[in-house]
Amino acid sequence: MASKWGQNIKKLLVRTIDLPQDVMMDLPRITMIGQLHIYIENHRGLLAFTDTEVRLMLKKGQLLIRGNEFVIRTILPEEIMLQGKIDQVFFIKE
Amino acid sequence: MKNQWTNFYTGYVKVKANGKGSERLINALTRRGIHVWDVKRAGTESVVFCIDLKEIPKLRETVRESNCKVTFLYGKGGPFLIKRLLKNSGFLAGSLAFLVCLFVLSNMVWDIQVHNAKPETEYAIRKELDQMGIKIGKVQFLLDDVDTIQRKLTDNIGTVTWIGVELKGTTYHFQVVDKKQPKAEKKTSPRNLVAKKKAIITDMFVEKGQPKIKVNDYVNKGQLLVSGMIGKEDSPKVISAKGVIKGETWYKSTVEVPLDSTFSVFNGEEKTKHYLAFGNVSIPVWGFQDPGYKRYEKDITVRTFHFLKWELPIAYKTATKRSKEEIVRKYTNQEAYDEARKMARADLKKQLPVDAEIIGQKILQVIPESGKVKLTIHYQVIENIATGQPIIQGD
Repeated sequence: MASKWGQNIKKLLVRTIDLPQDVMMDLPRITMIGQLHIYIENHRGLLAFTDTEVRLMLKKGQLLIRGNEFVIRTILPEEIMLQGKIDQVFFIKE
Repeated sequence: MKNQWTNFYTGYVKVKANGKGSERLINALTRRGIHVWDVKRAGTESVVFCIDLKEIPKLRETVRESNCKVTFLYGKGGPFLIKRLLKNSGFLAGSLAFLVCLFVLSNMVWDIQVHNAKPETEYAIRKELDQMGIKIGKVQFLLDDVDTIQRKLTDNIGTVTWIGVELKGTTYHFQVVDKKQPKAEKKTSPRNLVAKKKAIITDMFVEKGQPKIKVNDYVNKGQLLVSGMIGKEDSPKVISAKGVIKGETWYKSTVEVPLDSTFSVFNGEEKTKHYLAFGNVSIPVWGFQDPGYKRYEKDITVRTFHFLKWELPIAYKTATKRSKEEIVRKYTNQEAYDEARKMARADLKKQLPVDAEIIGQKILQVIPESGKVKLTIHYQVIENIATGQPIIQGD
């Protein structure tokens, strides 16, 4: 109940004083360059990594990326840059 | 994201992690603040990634906590390059030695060529060069510079008028002008001989042409001496007159000699400072002490290093300070008078052609002014007064 309250206040703040939503609400910020690169900020760790599939932990739920020839260009605690041919990006709620 | 261009210089290793939970290993690494990049899947249970060389101890710790096995594939970047370079140091040393050899050889004398010299002159020059130490195989910059060589050669070899010294790469070229080269007979156009200046004829020798004057005649400047028109009067033949007409000419010169004069004289003390010059910057390498001369002259010589045919921007520079002293010379009136006479004669000799002869002098005037002696001297000189004047055939 309390977290819901907090969420609501945050949403209100975002709407009224125009703060970026990813900062306020710990959402991932995803930048894609065509199908070549995908750059994700605010992830919470790597869950699975293969040539064709990458699974990332988020604060809420997971992010699933499908494609081919995946290479992690860089990985930092909260950022990841993925290279390859990206076909699909899914949000998975748990 | 931080910039990763320095990774190459600090060195990095490619690591292969085997075992289940390789993703967890990567998570653990990133959480410890270790920078990981270029992660690739290599088979179902293994992952290949790059890591900084200096993070390897941390990697070991992390791996111990996980259930992966790690093997190092290869290293790249600065430290590994250096390692390999040291391993192959033979090549490095070889190439360096090659460059050094090339450099030394480019600064050596490889050939000495003497052009336009008679065999005996050439022999003399080569002997002189040997004495000066200029031989094939010597290092150029231990030798004198080109101007000095030229001066020494011209001083020491009497039979040549002029020697041009040129250093082209590793070869010295000596261009010689012999003193007594048989002059090619000049083909002259039809001409008369006329007087160069007013004179009294003392001697004449006419090779070709018709003489118009006699010995003891007084001639003015421009007067016809030997005519180039010979033969009969109605059908004259025009030739090039030739001959030597000696005449007595007169010169007047005035000299002044001060009684007291100051000179700057080198007293033999000198101090050389050595530099290495890179472009415009000179770095002293030897002779730091300032000699503290009151008056001195500075002499700078620069020798550039060569590499093959190119001049390097590196040069060896020496600056020599020569101590000078002021010397005051005092003449008595008599001494000044003698000196003035000598000076006047020497001056005149310089003006006159080589075959001229001073036969008499008369001192016209001696004025002992305040602090100096002024002399006016009259000279009688015998010289060739004939000069050619082309005959222009008009009509």
